[in-house]
Amino acid sequence: MNPPSIKAMVSAVPRSLGSYGPVLREIEQALQSPQCNLNTIGDAIQKDPDLTARLLRLANSPFFGFANRLSTVAEAVSLLGIQQIQDMIVASSVLEQFKGVPDTLVNKDSFWRHSLAVGLTARLLAMEKRLPKPDKFFVAGLLHDVGRLVLLSQAAEWAHAVFELYQREKMLLRDAEKKVLGYDHQQIAAELLQSWSYPSALVQAVAFHHAPNQSVAKMDAAVVHIADHLVNAMGLGSSGEQFIAPLDEKAWALLGLSPDILAQLVEAVDEQILAVEEAFLKKPAGAAP
Amino acid sequence: MIVARDVKNLDGMLLMPSGCELSERQIDVLQAWGVTELEIEASEEQAKSHDPLSKLPPEVAAKITADLRARYWMPDEFGPVPAEIFKLMLLRQARRALNQPKP
Repeated sequence: MNPPSIKAMVSAVPRSLGSYGPVLREIEQALQSPQCNLNTIGDAIQKDPDLTARLLRLANSPFFGFANRLSTVAEAVSLLGIQQIQDMIVASSVLEQFKGVPDTLVNKDSFWRHSLAVGLTARLLAMEKRLPKPDKFFVAGLLHDVGRLVLLSQAAEWAHAVFELYQREKMLLRDAEKKVLGYDHQQIAAELLQSWSYPSALVQAVAFHHAPNQSVAKMDAAVVHIADHLVNAMGLGSSGEQFIAPLDEKAWALLGLSPDILAQLVEAVDEQILAVEEAFLKKPAGAAP
Repeated sequence: MIVARDVKNLDGMLLMPSGCELSERQIDVLQAWGVTELEIEASEEQAKSHDPLSKLPPEVAAKITADLRARYWMPDEFGPVPAEIFKLMLLRQARRALNQPKP
C-alpha cells in the first residue's frame, strides 16, 4: 500500500478557527469599518472571557515585559498592536484545531511545550538580530512541527510505521519519515500553511527548518532552525524526536550573532516559558470551563 | 579586569568587544554612553567557585555529562557553536541538580 499524498492528507484537515473564530471575524469586520478604534477591537476581544484572561496574562508576563501594568484589553491592544494580537489568536486556534490527536505516539502537552518554546526562542533571536516583526517568528516557531500533527491525525497507521522504524533503527525521526513516506513533516506543514494562505516567508521558514540554506527565506528558516536546536538541547518538550539533531553552523553564521548571546538567550527562555505556557495552554483562573 | 561579553549601547552599537582590558578611564567613557552594567571575566579561582559542575560529586557530574551526550545525534562532530551550547546545557543541568532538594 502506498502512503497517502501530502495533498490528500492536508485537504482532509478542516480549516476552522475553533472557538476564537467569532472573535477573529469580529476583529476583521471592525478593522474594515471607518469608525474602528482600539475600544471596538477591545470590545470584540472582551466578549470572550477566556481569550481576555489569556491575553492580559501574556501581556503582563515577561514575554512582553509590561510587568503587570496592563489592566484592560484596550490598553493591551494599543501597546501590543492589532497585528500581533491577531497572530496570537490565530496561533491559539491552531493549537485548538489538533486537540483531538491521540497521545499514543507523541504526548501533546510535550509537543506544545516544544512548539511554544521554539516560538519563544525564535522571537527572542529575531529581537536580538533586530529583525522586523519578531512576533511572526513566534508563529513560525509555534507551527514548525505542525506537519507531524497532520500525519498523526490524518494517517495514524503511517505515523505508527514511521515511529516503529525510528525506534527500531535508532535514526532521526525526520529520516524515518522520509524512508517510510517519501516526504517529511516539513513538506506536510508547508502544504498545510500554504493552503491556509500563510505568508510565504513563514511557509518557507517552516518548510526548511531542518535545511535553512535551501530556503528562499534563509534568515527566517535559520532563526527557526537555531531555535529548534536550542530548545531540543534544553529538553523543553518534544515533538516526537528524542535526539538533538545537529546545528547547521551556516545558519548561525547567517545570523551574524556572537555565541556570547547564547547564555542570556537560554536564561530568557527559561524565564518566559512558564508564562507563555500558562497563556496558551492552561485554562485561566475564573474562566468558564 | 577583562570584559567578558561585548558591550553595546541601546542601539546595538558595539562600544567594547569582549576580551578588552578595562581601565578606569574606559569605565567613565562607557558610563557616558549610558552603560550601567557589564560582565567581566572571573579569575580562575572565582570561576571555579561559580562552576556548578565542580560543586557536584564527580560521579553525578559524570552522569550529567554522559546523559546529555547520549541525547545528541553525532556528538563527536561538534563545531564551536554547538560546543558552546553543549557547555551551557551542562551548566544548566548542573545548576538544576544543585538546586534539587536532597531526598
